[in-house]
Amino acid sequence: MMTMENETPTHAASLKDVQQRRPEVARQNAVAKDAFNPNHIEVKDYSFFYGPNQVLFDLNMAFPERHVTALIGPSGCGKSTLLRNINRMNDLIDGISHKGDVLIEGQSIYDPFLEVISLRKRIGMVFQKSNPFPKSIYENIVYSLRVAGRNRKSELDETVETSLKAAALWDEVKDRLQESAFSLSGGQMQRLCIARAIANRPEILLMDEPCSALDPIATGKIEDLIHDLKKDYTIIIVTHNMQQAARVSDKTAFLYMGQLIEYDDTEKIFMKPSEPQTEAYVSGRFG
Amino acid sequence: MPPTPPKKPIPERFVVAPATLWFDRFMNHFIKVGGLAIIVAVFLIFFFILLQIFPLFRGARVEPAATVSIPPGDYRTMGTDEWSELPFFLEQDGTLRFVDTVDIGGPHHRGSFVKAPSFIDEVEIAYARYNEYQAFLLYGTTDGRFSIVNVDYQPTFPARGGRQVVVSLRETPLLNVGRQGMTVERLAYGDSGTRKILAAIQRVNGRSELHAVSLAQRRTLLGPGELTVDGRYDLTEFLDGEPRHIMIPSDADALLIAFADGRVRFLHFDGRGFSERQVFTPFADRPDPRIASMNFLLGDVSVVMTAHDGANRIYSIFRDPTLDMRIWGHTKTFPDLPAGATFYSVGMRNKAFLIGSDRRASLRYGTTEAIRWEDELPFDVQFAALGPRYNRILFLDTDHTLHAYDLRDPHPQAGWKTYFGRIQYEGQATAEFSWQSTGGRDDFERKLSLVPLIIGTLKGTFYAMVFALPIALLAALYTSQFLRPDIKRFVKPTMEIMASLPSVVLGFLAALWLAPIVSNAVPSVILAVIGVTAAAYGFGYAWGNLPQRIRLCLKPGYEFLAFAPIMCLAAYAGWSLGPVVERAFFVVTDPNTGLQVPDFRLWYPTVTGLSFEQRNAFVVGFVMGFAVIPIIFTITEDALSNVPDAFRSGSLALGASRWQTAINIVLPTASAGIFSAIMIGLGRAVGETMIVVMATGNTPVTDFNPFTGMRTLSANIAVELPEAPYLGTLYRTLFLGAMVLFLMTFMVNTAAEILRQHLREKYKAVE
Ligand SMILES: Nc1ncnc2c1ncn2[C@@H]1O[C@H](COP(=O)(O)OP(=O)(O)O)[C@@H](O)[C@H]1O
Ligand SMILES: [Mg+2]
Repeated sequence: MMTMENETPTHAASLKDVQQRRPEVARQNAVAKDAFNPNHIEVKDYSFFYGPNQVLFDLNMAFPERHVTALIGPSGCGKSTLLRNINRMNDLIDGISHKGDVLIEGQSIYDPFLEVISLRKRIGMVFQKSNPFPKSIYENIVYSLRVAGRNRKSELDETVETSLKAAALWDEVKDRLQESAFSLSGGQMQRLCIARAIANRPEILLMDEPCSALDPIATGKIEDLIHDLKKDYTIIIVTHNMQQAARVSDKTAFLYMGQLIEYDDTEKIFMKPSEPQTEAYVSGRFG
Repeated sequence: MPPTPPKKPIPERFVVAPATLWFDRFMNHFIKVGGLAIIVAVFLIFFFILLQIFPLFRGARVEPAATVSIPPGDYRTMGTDEWSELPFFLEQDGTLRFVDTVDIGGPHHRGSFVKAPSFIDEVEIAYARYNEYQAFLLYGTTDGRFSIVNVDYQPTFPARGGRQVVVSLRETPLLNVGRQGMTVERLAYGDSGTRKILAAIQRVNGRSELHAVSLAQRRTLLGPGELTVDGRYDLTEFLDGEPRHIMIPSDADALLIAFADGRVRFLHFDGRGFSERQVFTPFADRPDPRIASMNFLLGDVSVVMTAHDGANRIYSIFRDPTLDMRIWGHTKTFPDLPAGATFYSVGMRNKAFLIGSDRRASLRYGTTEAIRWEDELPFDVQFAALGPRYNRILFLDTDHTLHAYDLRDPHPQAGWKTYFGRIQYEGQATAEFSWQSTGGRDDFERKLSLVPLIIGTLKGTFYAMVFALPIALLAALYTSQFLRPDIKRFVKPTMEIMASLPSVVLGFLAALWLAPIVSNAVPSVILAVIGVTAAAYGFGYAWGNLPQRIRLCLKPGYEFLAFAPIMCLAAYAGWSLGPVVERAFFVVTDPNTGLQVPDFRLWYPTVTGLSFEQRNAFVVGFVMGFAVIPIIFTITEDALSNVPDAFRSGSLALGASRWQTAINIVLPTASAGIFSAIMIGLGRAVGETMIVVMATGNTPVTDFNPFTGMRTLSANIAVELPEAPYLGTLYRTLFLGAMVLFLMTFMVNTAAEILRQHLREKYKAVE
């Protein structure tokens, strides 16, 4: 299930990779993102507790619009927790509490007038383990529309096609839309989950180690996909794979034990990090 | 040959302890044997039940046992004692020749001997007839008189051991009937104990006359006194044809006259006089409607008739609902005989009769229209007698040889038709499914249809499920998907404790506490249920439309705190509104006082035509629901909680509400488990016994009226098995009921398992 590249970053390669791909990424950004909101998502003095255990400590950071931000850090440092708080998925857990605030376009996600459901409609999420529903491929994709009461056949058909095309899955499954989603391969399933997450055209896409259970070829496809998606979506991706972070992200945040150690352009984090801990982590001295 | 490498000893750290291996092997076998034993045990039970019901579906076996030559004579009829040991043959002159059929050639064989009533030398006998069931002979004389002679068989137990049947005759004095001095051609007599009537056809100047007398018997200090005539009726006016048969049932309230042209006239006797009720032609639809024979079946409410062409029918008397009068109607049809019956003998334990002509003898069963046995005999039959114990058949052939046959037919009534067919029982105007295994009289016709019991089982299950399913499933859904885990920790064990409530306690509560309350306040109960449901819907709707700011006053999962008081209020409002509604809508005239009273119990039957019982399916469904809810709840809750969290998270992250997630994702994914839960609950409800026994009147009904009780297969077994004679028809029928129950649950479970596998396949989670 696990491929070797997960969990243990292979550092020498990652640096080389960054050096090779950076200019191209930068050029793209220069073309596509001349006007973007650098503070699409703002995290302000944010602390988070599971019962008595504090997991996040006074985080302050902002995620830029239509950019890919990678969250890296050793296991248990709170990456997933931060991610899951952005769409308030942690609400389901008993005994949680927080301090500080998370703002999306300036509006607090904890605003009592804001429906959690509408917040989640704004934010797509892709999980570490692909989780298609036990339904057909078609029904998986249109689920978010159906729960919103949108059942018009033409709209659903169109959404399926555009979402699957956006997730680079259309050609592979267009003839078998009514088959069970479980008939797909692992990589296809994860891309189906991405297609499902963008079916309702959210603004933000959260990805929690989306490739950790996939083989290198499937991983490559997803990474290409992330590249394509960032022209439309603000993407936050949690990854254990340094090469992946380097390849796909524009900015990288390094978390350690619930604290934000360093947050900067990906290039900077990997080439010349300012914190020794970051340096140690990206170069594989601890992990 | 390469040298074999030297064997290296296995290092000790790799050695498995022999005890471990041995224990492992032992447990393997133990489990295997245990599993096999369970399967074998189930099959043995199945086999045992099969063994119990198998004899029900066997026909009668008739085997020749003995032949006895009897002295030649001009015999008119025959009769026999209870053990078929000492049959008699009535000579043309009125004497009775008794023939010992036991111990032939042995030292105590009594051969044959003659007995006769004392008057036999004074008069000339013109007509004689034997009534097998009441064991009396009717004598009619050429001078217009009659006598009733009881043939008293008594078993004695001589010192040498065994049993010997002795016989004595008890006769009434010769009394005049109708026209004095005129030959009596036919007689019929009925004695209900309090009322006795006798009818006679007399030949007067070449014409037939019909006369009847009512008889009275004064009681004296020394027992029954002399029989005297206390009423005379000339019924000749009713003779508009040549009379062939006259019959009076033992209730002595009717007189049937069959004419030569095939008509039957039914006169009713009300104690004071005769009046015509009905004229019918039993074989009107046959080319030759003439009646060849006409005899009562046990109980004297059915007449077995044959036509000259061999058609064989039963006519029974029942209350016609449109005429509101007891009339005779065609109830049973049997396969034709070769010709009109020349001999007949009635079963005295059941509704069987032996009928035939010439060489063909047929043993038939009145209730089921079944032929139990039929054969072409190697001799011409003159008379036949079916042993009163239904264990022997005696035939007298035309060559004065008595042929005794052993009859083995322990379950004459059993058969598919009895158990699963509609039958028009005696006294009923229509064919129906009905169960009534015991009755007050010997001639009671058993009703053994399993259909009302199957319907009762389905009815009980249905009402239990109607009540239990929504509550159990919704409670499980709520508990697993919406309730806070810390509260859930209390709810589940509490429900499980509920499951351990003995059903006898529930049944007791239902019968003695709940049934009276519910029956007194049906509108209140219904309104309370409606109130709670409406409140739940209303609250859910209102709550969903409240701004999140107010909703957040209660943490998600604690909404029930707001709902609970509203629910109680709704229940209370519904309950107290009950009497108001009753006063407004359910007003009827009390049949006792003639006043207008608001009473649902009286209103319901008058409006729907169905009955209302205190212990009804409504109450049973409610209480049985309590027995079923915990089971369904627990298993459903487990199934729902076992749905992988990834599905839930996935759905919620897509902006589905908790409810949408529960309905669209969690429920279908858990459907296989929920289905099992429902099936296990269904199984419990189908087999549930104590609650049904206690909380219903156990009336075997065939309707789904919620306000009558029912009798389920399991309750039937519990109620009747203690009373059923070992290995008797009822006993085996109860086992048949058990088998039906077994098959019902088996079929339901098999279908459910197939469906469950299908669902599991469809919704199985990816690994
Ligand atoms: N549901 C939970 N309840 C309590 N503690 C949790 C829960 N989920 C995560 N944690 C704790 O929070 C910390 C951060 O976890 P997580 O955000 O999953 O880390 P990461 O994704 O960076 O590996 C860990 O110490 C973990 O044990
Ligand atoms: Mg994580």
